[in-house]
Amino acid sequence: METVSYMLEGFGNILAVAPLLAIAAGVFMGILVGAMPGLSPSMGVALLLPFTFRLDPLVGLVMLTAVYLASNYGGSITAVTINTPGTPSAVATAFDGYPLTQQGKAGIGLGHSLVSSVVGGMVGIIILILFARPLAKVAVKMHPAEYFALALFGLTTVASLGGKNWAKAFVAALIGLLINTVGIDPISSVKRFTFGVTNIFDGFDIIPALIGLFALSEVFTKLEARETKGIDVGDAETRKDTWPTLKEYWSHRRVTLQSSVFGTLIGIFPGAGSAIASFLAYDLAKRTSKHPDTFGKGNPEGVCASEAANSASVGGAMVPLLTLGIPGSAATAVLVGALMIHDLVPGPMLFTSNPGLVYGLFASMLVANIFMLFVGGLGGKLWLKVIKISPAVLMPMIIAVAFIGSFAVKNSLFDVAACFVFGVGGWALKRKGYPMAPIVLGMVLGKLAEVNFRRAVIMGGYSVFFTRPASLALLLISVAAFALPFWQAGREKKKAVKGE
Amino acid sequence: MKKIAIVAMLLTTLCIGLYAEGTKEAVAFPSKPIRVIVYAAAGGQLDITARKFAEIAAKYTPATFVVENKPGAGGLVGWEYVLSQPEDGYTLMAVTKTLIANHVKDEFDVDPMSLNWTAFLINDAETIITNANSKIRTIADIVADAKARPGQQIWVAPPGVDEVVTYKFWDRNGISGKYVPYDAGGQAMAAVIGQQAQVYVGNPVDVRGKPDLMMAAISAEKRFTQFPDVPTFKELGIKGLDAESFWRGFALKKGTPASIIAWYDELFTRITADPEWRQFNEKDGMEVVHYKSEKFNAIVADEVKDFKTYFKK
Repeated sequence: METVSYMLEGFGNILAVAPLLAIAAGVFMGILVGAMPGLSPSMGVALLLPFTFRLDPLVGLVMLTAVYLASNYGGSITAVTINTPGTPSAVATAFDGYPLTQQGKAGIGLGHSLVSSVVGGMVGIIILILFARPLAKVAVKMHPAEYFALALFGLTTVASLGGKNWAKAFVAALIGLLINTVGIDPISSVKRFTFGVTNIFDGFDIIPALIGLFALSEVFTKLEARETKGIDVGDAETRKDTWPTLKEYWSHRRVTLQSSVFGTLIGIFPGAGSAIASFLAYDLAKRTSKHPDTFGKGNPEGVCASEAANSASVGGAMVPLLTLGIPGSAATAVLVGALMIHDLVPGPMLFTSNPGLVYGLFASMLVANIFMLFVGGLGGKLWLKVIKISPAVLMPMIIAVAFIGSFAVKNSLFDVAACFVFGVGGWALKRKGYPMAPIVLGMVLGKLAEVNFRRAVIMGGYSVFFTRPASLALLLISVAAFALPFWQAGREKKKAVKGE
Repeated sequence: MKKIAIVAMLLTTLCIGLYAEGTKEAVAFPSKPIRVIVYAAAGGQLDITARKFAEIAAKYTPATFVVENKPGAGGLVGWEYVLSQPEDGYTLMAVTKTLIANHVKDEFDVDPMSLNWTAFLINDAETIITNANSKIRTIADIVADAKARPGQQIWVAPPGVDEVVTYKFWDRNGISGKYVPYDAGGQAMAAVIGQQAQVYVGNPVDVRGKPDLMMAAISAEKRFTQFPDVPTFKELGIKGLDAESFWRGFALKKGTPASIIAWYDELFTRITADPEWRQFNEKDGMEVVHYKSEKFNAIVADEVKDFKTYFKK
């Protein structure tokens, strides 16, 4: 009951001109940041941080949180329309989103990505409001052994993502893991494959790699095919049949809700991240679907799963921030800075010392989701126009944005060159039928797996993975998840042989 | 006609350029914006401090400071960038003790004295942090536990400065444990809250707003007025840990003219006295000081030696 009265107070605090304008501005900026390859959610929040120094703490904070929330949706727009995920967490959105676009059903993909993002965002925040404290207690009990097992579980999705192409998907994931070995060893500080090049002491940054592998390789492929026509978007612009109906949205409620809850839970663990949430939710949706073979070929449920999960992870990431004072993601780490600037200390004391601010923030996140629905809905027509642009015009623009985006990460020309190399490499691999997504998965999860494996071993020796029940359970699930697709394929083969 | 106009315009621009070049020596410092290079990503503590500095500096000088992030390689990317610029005072580097730790640990290919360590401004004391709800809370608890199970106690902290404080503490107390590096301090603190690890090494700001954590001891000459219950190492009879600090400050490229250094000295003196600057740093338990080049360079030289003894073992 207490929560209800605090929430009402929270809504009271933000239903004024300045906070509402800040939310609207944040949502708008966030969508742009997310859609712009090269600007990740955390960079978007960091870029706007200096503008909040002079604002009222609540106004500044709701704006930054709105940016964080909306940028997780924004990444899906380019993933669906031009197969260029704006953020690592939108990679899984492109699996089904882009095939939908190629089939002339971009409206379906965009509609589902928006609505599932909003639903995911809402679920994440509601879980945050209701269960933040008990969930935080679980989050801190997570041992490095469990983080390693979680990362491994994430990697097993390769087995099902690849489909018939599993061997190539496997090789692609290995390439991602190998790229990850470059740089100063995070535990013992040994320089690995750096060849004295200062710029790769930290390894390869994920953003230029993502842009190169997806955006540039696509440009090169189109260039090779001499494609000059835009994709036919049907009559989506006039919002007839090609946008999903309310009934269609409703028909995917199970996947959307399941992924939302899943995404929130993954978001709670500090350092796990929204990319792993969207990959795992996608995999789960595929495995629990009655028609798993339609995934990857334009099944709207794939879009729903990935987008609901990455938006829900925002609410999850706020749990450790607000209840323990510990940032759960790169973007929430910047929010810590935003709070400190105003002499507010993130942590459990905030609930008692500034309940108006905490609940105002919760209320603002709910409002931001509603704004996102409107801004995203209005923008829908605009995104569709992008698809219609002739590749002769669009492709050079993508190259320009790719280079600017890679430069922006660290103000470094080296990253621009890295992006180009990843683009050429991606194009060459794509020609041979290797998928790009497992490379990204390997890069994102490789570090998580490696660092936590070694921490776990330092802390408890090799046996720790099997003596901790949670770790053992996750490892067994991983093995099962990895083996299941092969077992199923084998059984079907047998059946087919018998049938003949 | 048009072509002639363009050529005329180009020539005029060129002349203005030459004129500006010719009069460079005569113009007082600073005559153009000064870039502040931050070796960490935007949004972090160092970045925020540098931006606050730029904001407060505007009160005392008409010069414009532009903060630019050049992250990568533990600070070497930013460092090399500063060295690639002329030593004219227009490139100021925001520095912390982590830079020295990384220099030794990762064997940076630059001379630590290739920078003129111009101003040591913030002294952030190192502290030993424990879980307030666990059995191991005080320094006596830590030592007793470590002696009861040698080499088994788990210490977590970001690598570098905090890591070396860990080793020093073990040496001075004749104990040993397991050091587990965490590049993100937040995750390391979560491990202490979750009791997977017993001790975290950090700074007073880390326990702010976290009732689950407490400071067991602080590195300082005398107790902090903000934390009257936290004993110093000295009081506890632990020697040689009185000046462990995570400092922040600014550096210029070596060879910057003395007149420009004097200009910065004056600016930093004013900023150090600024109430807003003091409040901004002191609220997080940091001490606002101002050591000039001579003392700062000596501190850096000492620390390089100190880190070498721990990282080259």
